[in-house]
Amino acid sequence: MSAPNCGERLTGHGSEWRDAKLSPEDARTATNWVEQKIDKRSMLTNKDRVEDVRDVMWQLEKDGEIVVHRIRDEHEPVDVKTLYGWTKRIPTTRLWHHKSCGQCGNIPGYPASLLWLMNMLGKSYLDETDQTSCTAWNYHGSGIGNLESLAAVFLRNFHQAYVSAKAEGGPEGYYYPLVHCGTSFGNYKEVRGYLLQSAELRERVKKILGKLGRLVDGKLLIPEEIVHYSEWAHVMRDEIAKHRVIDCSEIRATIHPACHVYKMVPQDAIYDDAILEGNRVAVSTGLMQALGANVIDYSTWYDCCGFGFRHIISEREFTRSFAIDRKIRVAQEEAHADVMVGHDTGCITTLDKSQWIGAAAGKEVDLPVLADVQFAALVCGAHPYKIVQSHWHASSTEKLMEKLGIDWQAKKAEFEAYLEDIKVGKQENLYDPRRMITSGPGFKPLPQVAQAAAEGSQ
Amino acid sequence: MGHAHSSRVETVIGDPLSPTPQLPREKLEEIFADIQSDIRYDHELNGCLNCGICTATCPAAYYYDFSPREIVQLLWTENLEGIYDAMQEKIWSCAQCYTCAARCPFENSPGGLVMLMRETAIKHGMESAKNVLRPFSRVMLKLISTGNQLAPDMINPDHFADWGPNISKVKAPLKLLRKAIPMPTLNTTETAWEVNLKTSVELYTIWEMTGVLKQLETIDENLFDVITDIMDEKRQDYQDFLDEQA
Repeated sequence: MSAPNCGERLTGHGSEWRDAKLSPEDARTATNWVEQKIDKRSMLTNKDRVEDVRDVMWQLEKDGEIVVHRIRDEHEPVDVKTLYGWTKRIPTTRLWHHKSCGQCGNIPGYPASLLWLMNMLGKSYLDETDQTSCTAWNYHGSGIGNLESLAAVFLRNFHQAYVSAKAEGGPEGYYYPLVHCGTSFGNYKEVRGYLLQSAELRERVKKILGKLGRLVDGKLLIPEEIVHYSEWAHVMRDEIAKHRVIDCSEIRATIHPACHVYKMVPQDAIYDDAILEGNRVAVSTGLMQALGANVIDYSTWYDCCGFGFRHIISEREFTRSFAIDRKIRVAQEEAHADVMVGHDTGCITTLDKSQWIGAAAGKEVDLPVLADVQFAALVCGAHPYKIVQSHWHASSTEKLMEKLGIDWQAKKAEFEAYLEDIKVGKQENLYDPRRMITSGPGFKPLPQVAQAAAEGSQ
Repeated sequence: MGHAHSSRVETVIGDPLSPTPQLPREKLEEIFADIQSDIRYDHELNGCLNCGICTATCPAAYYYDFSPREIVQLLWTENLEGIYDAMQEKIWSCAQCYTCAARCPFENSPGGLVMLMRETAIKHGMESAKNVLRPFSRVMLKLISTGNQLAPDMINPDHFADWGPNISKVKAPLKLLRKAIPMPTLNTTETAWEVNLKTSVELYTIWEMTGVLKQLETIDENLFDVITDIMDEKRQDYQDFLDEQA
């Protein structure tokens, strides 16, 4: 046994911690030094031992161990640069929507806006029922689950994306998976890395995928890239901006970048020297700038939102305190923001829903919160309620709409009238509902892809 | 795995003032061996200079007696009692944002190490894990049986009073509002999207084959019984469908 620590417990700082007792001037100098380094790209790149797991992937394919789901010319890919200047291919059409349970359950205007933008740009996609969530929200929150289960879920969902076009008479690999959730995106990239590096893990999950009939030629199927929807929106930003019908040049926007999008497997996140000098992840900021909004920096840009996975469900004192004190208040008081824009499920939920309770603690805040594609759809003329579904947002999206010159009360009245139409079966959809079931009970063959291919269209 | 027998620190240091009763050395070694034997362990822990940048940037450290630096140090020095002590409460403070991992000069992932400790706490049926996970029953039920963590019918104002009165700004029945989402897969109330029966059955096979159901049984036997009943029924439904097709 070591000697007792003078009665101190093992705390966050540790018993060896001593106050440096710097003078205010010296403390300011030290803080300035840190601030010059902090939040900068060099923070992430000044490290050793970074390998590109895609090199391992191509070698494993060459060795006949795996099959790679390739991004082909038909997916009309656009190349971007990631943290270290590596190239990543982003497919822009023939996309399989891998939905987010948090978005679909709680912020449905988020995926609806994305699909609306794709319709606007004439992009081809499939939104189907044969998919589970990544299950990583639960895993990070509760610890129920493990690397093997996460890997098997990843491979099952991505295999389904690979074979999904068969239901419409199309070939394997026709649709490429587009991941909606930031946590799914981070989790899948992490899991893909472990799968490529561990023969033992591959062997274990191969048995499971084999039992499910989810191998390709007896091998595991690995996607060439794992692609987040915000990356699609990023490479399409100039095309999207051409369709803008509402001026947003007076809007001061703050960006909340999602931790699981760019802090997990950071080497895969997109950076662009022309966007915030390449010091911060480019997605969302690039889109907002292309649309003409003013992206305003703020000192807690790098902080997480406070979601916490477990905390948002069972310990929201933490979640709302962090969201208000470290994000919303700073964006309001420092950046004088009109909106906070994000690109992930948990962040949008946390930042949007945690504001109302602030008044109870004398911290009144009021900042509209939207996902990047919701904002883009809004200024491209999407209906604020039918498409953007802003009524699910607790924050004051109406205030933003007023600043954009949108008569939200009239739009809301239109939506309420539309609800009466739905009661008599006059529902409007973004795609043919018959396409959503691709196998099992309720499936009816619909040779849409085969027909489109024969007609030489998308 | 025999990692615990080759500890760099053979004498237990631990926290002499901890109210947690000490476990036999063998049990502490078993717990540590479970953490250390995960294939991710050596990837997540590379060394530590106590620089503390992880704790400086940690959101949980703002509000809890929690420090990613401490977690790394306990594991790096193989402080078996300290590790066990941290598993009683501290590991559940982590917000899983991975800011610590992004910033660590050694490329450690304190957040990733916390996950290995959480999994191990569950495997050993620790009371701390049971207490923390009690509010998760409904989430777990949805997730294991449908693959969706969150469903529209879970956003109940009674459960989310602190979200205020604007959970929905249009007053209409949930079912109608869900039908007004222009994605047909989302016209649901009990799941975030309509999940194919085949998909649920495949997912259940994954849970079975990866030991996740076993984890669940260790933590909450009643919930385990409910879920197995539901899934047995779903499996039967799917088998009936296949028989009809034959």
